[in-house]
Amino acid sequence: MQPEGFHEVEETVRGVLRDVLGISAERAAAFDEATPLFGALPELDSMAVAGVLTEVEDRLGIIIEDDEVDGDMLETFGALVRFAASKALT
Amino acid sequence: MLRFGPATGPVIVIALPLFEEANRTRAFAVTILRALAERGIAGALPDLPGQGESLLPTHETGLAKLRTAFAAAVSHLEAPAFTLAIRSGALLDADATVTGRYHLSPMAGADLRRELARARQASSREAGEAFDPASLDTASEPVELAGNLIAPAFLADLAAATPSSEGVRTVRLQTEAKPADARLPGSPLWRRAEPDNDLAFAQAVADDIVQWVELCAA
Repeated sequence: MQPEGFHEVEETVRGVLRDVLGISAERAAAFDEATPLFGALPELDSMAVAGVLTEVEDRLGIIIEDDEVDGDMLETFGALVRFAASKALT
Repeated sequence: MLRFGPATGPVIVIALPLFEEANRTRAFAVTILRALAERGIAGALPDLPGQGESLLPTHETGLAKLRTAFAAAVSHLEAPAFTLAIRSGALLDADATVTGRYHLSPMAGADLRRELARARQASSREAGEAFDPASLDTASEPVELAGNLIAPAFLADLAAATPSSEGVRTVRLQTEAKPADARLPGSPLWRRAEPDNDLAFAQAVADDIVQWVELCAA
């Protein structure tokens, strides 16, 4: 059962990936829970990760600490959304 | 310094963001100046010490030097002059004699430091090295951050630097959460890996600037 606001967080993260990585709206709209991110998207290299995290922070009004960033939360679209939601919706 | 538009009347002077974001937003900034020229408003884009074609190495520039150079560039132009500052460019126009400051998605120096440290951490992690952000406060040599060699004094000045609040119109993207006088639909070009452009966004900024300049002149 997803908390209230989860869908908004998901659409915000989708928008961040689209805007930061320069991905088309169609491609970003097709991202789902299982879509692989870091390691699978050629646009998402380590420098782009920094931009994605900062943009997520700015749009959701959250702070992501450096030690919270690991491979797991960047592995799939679902993992990144769940991480963002855990910080934005508490 | 690039110049566009008529030889007289108000001049819009661009302050590009610091470091890599300047490369990402330069084409966008020039598009805005061309759009302004089409609307009968002059524009200028100076290269500041350590930026663009400047011969000064990046690690020899600093905040005071950039602000002084920007003010000097403005003083060579016709009045009335207005700045269009993009992102951290908003930290550079405090000393310039201008009728107004248009700040597009401005940021504080501390935010810039944080983003630079984050980019460095990402690349260090990829190289299998450790990077401690606290080392930025104690560095005695220039530090390489996100592709630029930056002097420790510059990093220290950035920590306290904030955009000017005099005569400022703050405009942000609709996706930004921070306060603004107005919001425009547009994409954060400064976040892309490659330089890009957003023609509709540039036209929207030009239209907004034209209206604002007319109000300021009245």
